[in-house]
Amino acid sequence: MIPDPESSAKKQIGSSAVELGETKQQFDMDALVGYILLIGVLISLALVIAALIWRWADTRTLAFDYRIAGMNLFQLLLNEIRLGMQGALRPRLLLSLGIAMLMLTPYIRVLASMVYFMVSLKNWKYSVFTAVVLLTLTYSLFLR
Amino acid sequence: MVSFELLFPISIVAGFIGAMAGMGGGVVIIPVLTLLGVDIKRAIAISILSVIATSSGSASAYIRDHITNLKVGMFLEMFTIVGALVGAKITLAVSPKPLYIIFGLVLLASWLALFAAKDEMGHTGAQDRITNWLELEGSYPDQALGQVVHYKARRAYFGAPLMYLAGMIAGLLGIGAGAVKVLIHDLVMGLPPKVSTTTSNMIIGVTALAGASVYLVAGLIDPGLAAPVILGIAVGAFLGTRLLVRMSNQAVRRFFLFILLILAVEMIVRGVRGGL
Repeated sequence: MIPDPESSAKKQIGSSAVELGETKQQFDMDALVGYILLIGVLISLALVIAALIWRWADTRTLAFDYRIAGMNLFQLLLNEIRLGMQGALRPRLLLSLGIAMLMLTPYIRVLASMVYFMVSLKNWKYSVFTAVVLLTLTYSLFLR
Repeated sequence: MVSFELLFPISIVAGFIGAMAGMGGGVVIIPVLTLLGVDIKRAIAISILSVIATSSGSASAYIRDHITNLKVGMFLEMFTIVGALVGAKITLAVSPKPLYIIFGLVLLASWLALFAAKDEMGHTGAQDRITNWLELEGSYPDQALGQVVHYKARRAYFGAPLMYLAGMIAGLLGIGAGAVKVLIHDLVMGLPPKVSTTTSNMIIGVTALAGASVYLVAGLIDPGLAAPVILGIAVGAFLGTRLLVRMSNQAVRRFFLFILLILAVEMIVRGVRGGL
């Protein structure tokens, strides 16, 4: 049988349109994930730089001498905020927040990917995979 | 206490090398920190924290350039993060001396294998059923080749357990273990070198997060060391990333091979001398 050139041309157009649609969705997600990572790191670095400048202004040194002992990320955050509200420890608070922000950045990225696979792509397979990653990370952040 | 003024420039160099090779920069910063008198477990903890910054910083640019494969990354992350948790727990418990030697030897063997392999475009041929079910394929615009490269991954069933081991090495030694991850992507799963390097970069971020959580709870993350190392490595990584996108796959591979060889020798020497 001779293939009908017109119908195969239509198929061609149809399939490339689908491909284009997918490429566009992929583009949106790539941009979102990319910017989440970029903004997270930038905020974290800004906090660290602010802590250093403040420290320099206060003490003419860039050294920080304190320990984070036996706390997970959320305990650390709560503890620093509590100390911060009591006053005086502010450069240190900024540094700890910078470290916390850094650790939360990949976590937020996975969270965004989860929403993307579930809501936008409706890809159950990758929704499950992402959920596994998210649960494992959540577990690690609440370690004691 | 190591001074900020010394640690900051060293960290910039470490971050630059890390980004160029798809690694986290920990390979350079850990030996330097120990040479400056920092306890090895603290060096590992700071390194893995800085790895999050490098990985996220450079991954950001690669993802927006559409080179990174999000599905490949997400699938393999399931395995690397569990590995990282186990690896970090092991480091807290034991002396890692013999593991350094094994790690160095594995890298050396991989170096020889990768040196012989040449594959600019990745694979477009037949996929096995598991990898096909996992939808692990893609395309990316290659600036150096001036065309869109299509590829299909393969052997995901073999890549996954290997990535668990890569994650374990990352958690154990506080490095991105990007070298190992890139190898698995290249040799086992048949991804084009640029895709494997950039996807590895994204995976490194969450893997390092899992490891860093363990070290944080153990009280090994020293904020005074973290500040210069994170800042320096981020600056270096930013510069390295700008260079990578403009280079050909061959150049990336050559640079990667060079770094891999140094890393292998360094690991073996340190393991044998026991100067951990």
